[in-house]
This record gives sequence, structure tokens and C-alpha cells, in this order.
Amino acid sequence: MTKKDSSIDPKSFLIVGAVITLLLVLVIIVGMFWTPYSPTAMKYGRFQSPSWNHIFGTDNFGRDIFSRIVKGAGNTLVIALSTVIIGAAGGILIGSLTGYFGGAVDVVLMRVNDALTAFPSFLLALLIVSLVGPGSKYSVVLALGLVFIPSFARVTRSEFASLRSRNFVTGARLTGAGHARIIFVYLLPNTGRVLLPALTIGFNNAVLAEASMSFLGIGVTPPDSSLGYMLSEAQSMVSIAPWYALSTGLSIVLLVFGVGLIGEGLQARAKEVD
Amino acid sequence: MLVINDLHVRFNGREREAVGGISLTINDGEIVGLVGESGSGKTVTAMSIAGLLPRRQCTYSGDILLDGKDLLHAQRSELRKLHGKEIGVVFQEPMSSMDPLMKIGHQIGEVLRIHTDLSMSQIKEKALEAMASVELQNPEQIYDCYPNELSGGMLQRCMIAAAIVIEPSLLLLDEPTTALDVTIQAQILELLKKLNARLGISMLLISHNLNVVRKLCSRIAVMKRGLIVEIGDTESVFLNPQHDYTKALIKAIPTRERRFG
Amino acid sequence: MNEVLLYVLKRLLILVLTMILVSFMTFGAFSLISGDPARTILGTEATEVQVRSLRHELGLDRPFMARYLSWLLGFFSGNLGVSFSYRQPVWELVGSKLMLSLSMSLLSFLMIILVAIPLGVFSYKATGKTMIWLRTIFNQLGMAIPPFFTGIVFSWIFGILFRLFTPGDFKGFSVSFWPSFMHLFFGAVCLSIPRIAMTIRMMRSTVISEMNKAYVRTAISRGNDRRSVLSRHVLKNSLVSVISFLGQTLAELVCAGIVVEQVLGIPGVGRFLVTSILHRDYPVVQTIVVILTFWVVFASFIADIINQVLDPRLRRGQT
Repeated sequence: MTKKDSSIDPKSFLIVGAVITLLLVLVIIVGMFWTPYSPTAMKYGRFQSPSWNHIFGTDNFGRDIFSRIVKGAGNTLVIALSTVIIGAAGGILIGSLTGYFGGAVDVVLMRVNDALTAFPSFLLALLIVSLVGPGSKYSVVLALGLVFIPSFARVTRSEFASLRSRNFVTGARLTGAGHARIIFVYLLPNTGRVLLPALTIGFNNAVLAEASMSFLGIGVTPPDSSLGYMLSEAQSMVSIAPWYALSTGLSIVLLVFGVGLIGEGLQARAKEVD
Repeated sequence: MLVINDLHVRFNGREREAVGGISLTINDGEIVGLVGESGSGKTVTAMSIAGLLPRRQCTYSGDILLDGKDLLHAQRSELRKLHGKEIGVVFQEPMSSMDPLMKIGHQIGEVLRIHTDLSMSQIKEKALEAMASVELQNPEQIYDCYPNELSGGMLQRCMIAAAIVIEPSLLLLDEPTTALDVTIQAQILELLKKLNARLGISMLLISHNLNVVRKLCSRIAVMKRGLIVEIGDTESVFLNPQHDYTKALIKAIPTRERRFG
Repeated sequence: MNEVLLYVLKRLLILVLTMILVSFMTFGAFSLISGDPARTILGTEATEVQVRSLRHELGLDRPFMARYLSWLLGFFSGNLGVSFSYRQPVWELVGSKLMLSLSMSLLSFLMIILVAIPLGVFSYKATGKTMIWLRTIFNQLGMAIPPFFTGIVFSWIFGILFRLFTPGDFKGFSVSFWPSFMHLFFGAVCLSIPRIAMTIRMMRSTVISEMNKAYVRTAISRGNDRRSVLSRHVLKNSLVSVISFLGQTLAELVCAGIVVEQVLGIPGVGRFLVTSILHRDYPVVQTIVVILTFWVVFASFIADIINQVLDPRLRRGQT
């Protein structure tokens, strides 16, 4: 970036993003144990518009929308996190091994990887879901997790490939450090610079992809609930209860926005280090 | 005639001035060398003359006058009329200094497109002439080439052709041979000498390499930490350096080169 | 230009090989998981004889390679097999839907290019503190808005409140042109919002990094003003980096369109894909997946060719 751009400290993006995200996560975690109303109780009057009692109003069954969103967001969060964990673990494992050892395996795997990353991940995920059976949160996690592996593998590999010939690695090797030690103690901590922003982007993609799939009815289905599934419900009653769709949709936007800002700050910081 | 009078440049946020008050005159047709190590302020001086100083990021004072026209304080729009037309610049890295996606011929003719009303075919004709005058073989063929298709030496000839095609009154040479092989270096210096003799263009050669300067310049100025510490005829500076820094610079030239240079 | 032609031919060969590979993999995957479609179609009550005769009718009793080859040949001659659930030729079902989806994607792609490229180029100057914040917030917000959410909001505002179209009631262009067009238009807008944000960001950072390159300094030293430095030098150089990104965007738009078709009730190929997945109608799913993949491969092919024409550095060493 140019000199002028650094007039904003990347930390400020990081802080604003972290504040938004932490608040949301706090609400979600509290919501796992306690919500103002029972998210399943159908007794608060149908289609109540937002008020002090029900800040996001109630739905067609008379359930409190805020409590439902908090619960649904919890599912979304768990699914997105599990997805990122699968994708990152698989990707980092493959990427670090191929990047560190190189050779023919590296060439072949990275070719396959390039082909897979060129492929729209959403289509790939749809395909996997249709193969393992649609309509369950486990297939969503599996499909999205698998789909995210290639991009993490690519990022890790290129970092490893550029780091492995640095002096501190050669030095470690000369003092007799084994491959495992070099990979985990010397190389992996140094990839955080690029992996952390990749994790935030992966998380956001996971949230959006899960929401899309559940919206389409091939992701999370009742009795489970997620923000995407709730939006598909909200759509059918948007003319009667627009607050339902708006509050659910804006919750997704806010979650992705907060994490996105964190990613922006991390990326800017990584650039500054360069 | 280029006159620099008490030029000061300081970048924002820096303690020390990059250029701490220098004065220098280049007469018509003269080649002057500006020598110094990196950080001595020689490139900042050149950038100030070429109007490439990031004005908002520094403070500056003094005068730079080219044939009486102000180069330091004039409006950007005024300066643009002089860039290319009165001052041609040849940069260090010919490969990166050229637009990789534009044909060589169009880059050479660009100055004419900006500063004259010549037609496309006239511009091409002039560009080809300039290419011939920098001794490029088959200018017609090179005209349609892209930078990546030529060698460094050929590209630097093209850069020179682009700078002289409109016959400016001053040619700024910022380390023009540093990125080139030694044999090519010699050819380029020879070419610059010929152009100076034939067209009478004044030149300011910026270099850290005393040998290069000695081959080309009639006068040299030695810069250190933003100041000119010594200035004079090339031979007298070489034979009888006054300042310790100049002595050290001359001493640093490998002996063989010093003798046969 | 000869080099370019040669490259196109070479790239075309790779394109065909990729498509064959992809179709083989997809066909293989679906053959593996689909189990016995004859059983699926007829249900558990059918007799063994009925199942066997339907399997024969559908050609499922032949060896795998034979089935693949006849499917592939059929694919290129427009015979895509028969849908399990509709018992109709797949092409009849998919053809017009495909056109609809592609038009929406192209419309959206057009919006992205027309909005994002100029904004990306001109936003490189926005460097003040407030501007950086505004830019970052708009960018991140744009990327955070899922198209199906905007789809719901648009169908509520423009469909229900302003009655510009009736979401879900897509009659086709020949029946009612404007409402149909409105469906595609708002669908395209929903699709383009996050991608406009991404493209602006991409374009901006590319322009900035190009602006810091040495050739820009040369261009300024020749007396170019800021605008002609941009238009004559920087823009073309920036496009080279952005075009592969745009190619990928074009590819992704069709897949992202699946959700938007669902929201606005556009009977496109994506919506059909989803219902077919839910009904386990594998011939249809398989065909649509292969078609969408071809589209992806094709988009990157086009992007590569454009770059080849624009950038002489790529041309060298190809021959």
C-alpha cells in the first residue's frame, strides 16, 4: 500500500471488528443457556411487530424472533466454526507437508488443488451435499469443510515453500531439529501472518454458504434452525412481518461485517510487516 | 542553461534534509556529473529537477531555473508543459521504466504526441529517426516490439531515443548504465557522448560510479549527506581531490580500472 | 497474432480435455452414489421383474464405460438422458432454464464491470482518514450482504410495495416482458452487490500497486497528466491482473444465482438443480453440474485468451 494509506492504523479496523464480533458472540453464548423467551414457545401472539417486549417482534406461530435468532445464530456459529476447523486443519496439514517436502507429490497435489480452487466452491459444496444426503447440519459441515481445504492448503503451501529455505530454518536444521520440530516449532507459527486473515475470510464464506444452503432447504432443516433457514421462513411472510426477514438478515450481515473488519485489519497488518 | 540555487528538500517526518542547500549550474551543451553514495541526495536533486518530487510529502525551498523558467515552484500544469519537452529523463532500470503493454515505438513517440501537433505518421517517422540516431539496428522491426522482447542494452537505447526524440534542452541521466553489462555500459556512454556532440543537449549524469562519470562529464560535483562537498573540472578533481570524501571515493575505484579507465 | 492463434488452439485442447475429465468424474460420482435409480423410481412395492425391465429401459444394465460413452455422445448431440422424476428428456427440461440463468449472470456481470471498474479506479485517490473508513465500511458491508437477503428485501419493496413485479410469478418474456425482465434485473442487482464490493477492492489495490511502478514515473516525466497516465498506461496494466479475477467472478455468478433464483422465483437452472437434488433426480443433477462446470471452464478460458491478447509478456515462450 502507499505511504498515505498507512495513516490509519490497521489496529483500528481490528478493534472495531473485534468489538462487534465479541458482542455478538457474547449474546450467542448467553443464548445457549438463557434467552429472554423460549425460542420454541408459541404463546406470545402471532405477528407482533417489534416492541420493548419483543424487540424483533414475533413470527407466525407467535414465537419471539429475537430468542429464535440468538438460538439460530448459535447453530450458524457452530457450523461455521466446525467448517473452518475442518478446512483449516486439512488444508494446513496438506499445505505444510507438500510445501515443506516439495517433490512430485507437491506438484501433483497442487495441480489438483488449483483445479479445485478454480471451481466455484458453492457448486462443489452443493454436489457433495447431494452425494452425502441433503438436509442435515452434518452434511453441510462436511461438504463446506471439504470444499475449504484447497484454499487453506494453497496459502499454507506457498508460505512454507518460501520459508523453508530461510536462514532460521537452515539454522534449526543444523542444530539437529527433526522435520516435525521444524514444521511445528519454526514454520507453522510464522505462517500466522497470512493464515489468520485466511481464517476470517473462510469463516465468513462458511457463514454465507451455510445460510445459502439452509435457505435453499438442503442445509439445516427443522427441528434444527439457523439464520439461513429462518430467512427462508421469513421470506414467505415478508409482506405481513417484514421485521422477521430484516432482523434475521441484518444479523447475518452484522456477523459477517464484524469478522470482515477483523480480517481487513489483519490483512493490513500483514502488509505492513512486509 | 540550468541553474540550481540553494536547493533545500526535506521529507516530512525526517530530521535531516535530503538536500541541504546546493547550488549548481549546467551550461548549454555541458555534461555535468553528480556523484555520491546512495542517500547522498543526488537522486532527490534529480527528481526535483524533473518535477517528480512528491510535493505534498516534503518541504522545499530555493530555485531551479531552466533557461529562466521556474521548475520548482511552478504549477503542476505549467511543469507538465516542460516535462519531456525541455527535460528528458533516462532512468536506471530500462525494463521496469517502460510500460510493458505498450509498443516500444509508441513509447518513443509519446513525448511528441503530448507536446506537438504532429500527425501519427509524422510521429512514427520522427520516432524511427530517433531510434536510428541511438544506433538501434532495424528500427522498423523494433518499433512494433514490446519491452519484454528486447535486451537491457537495446531498451536503454530506446529510453534514450524516447528522451531525445523531441530534442530537449536538458537530459537527466539517473544511473543510466548501472543495470547494464560492462561492455554495454561502454557503448551507451559512447552513444551519449556522440549525442551531446551532435545535438548539443546539456546532460546531468547521476551516478555512484566515478569511472562512468569520468568518461562522460566535463565537470563533476560530489555530494555527501545532502551537500555538494566538491565541484570542479573532472580531471582536476580526479588528479587533485580537495575533500577527504572525494579522496576516499577515488581510492575505492579498483586500481586496474583507475589506470585503464 | 499468430502466437495468439496458436495459444487459442492449445488452450482449446486443454479446455476440451478438462471438460471430458470433469464429465467423467461427475458421471462416475453419480453412478457410485445413485444406487439403483430404477428401484428409486418404482418405489419399494415394485416387483423384481418390473425393476429389471426399467433398468434395461434406462440402460442401467450396461457396463460403466459404455454408459459413460453413450452419455457423453448423447450430451454433445443434445440427448441428455431422461429425468427420473419427470420422465422427460433432460434437455427439454434444462434448455430454456439454462438460457434464463445465463442471461441473469451476464446482466449481473455487466453491472459489476460498469460500476466496479470506474469506482475502483477513481477510489484510489480516496486516502483521507474519513474516506478510508467510509470505503472500508461500504466494502465490508457490501461483501457481508448475502444476495438472498437483498432478494427478499427487493421483492418486498419493489415487488410487494411498489408492484413492479410479482415475485415468484415469472411468466416468461414472451408472455409478459417487463415483469419478467424485472425479475432478472433485481436478481442481477442482488448478485452483483457483494461482487461489486470485491471488484472495487481488487481494482483499487491493483491500480495503487501499478501507480507505484517505475513506468508511471517515466510517463509523468514525459509530461502526461494524471488522467492520461491512468488511461494510457495504468488502466490497461491493471486490467491484466483483474481479468482473471473477473473470469472467476463470471463463473461464480451462475452458481451464486442458484439462491437468487430461489428467492425471486425465477425458473432458472439453479432452482431446478436444487429441486432435483432434493428429489435425487440424478440425471438432471448430473447434467446441470456438468453444464455449470463447462461454464466455469469456459469463463476461465475466455479470461486467459483476453489476457493473452493484452499482455505481450504472456505471449513470449508460448510458441
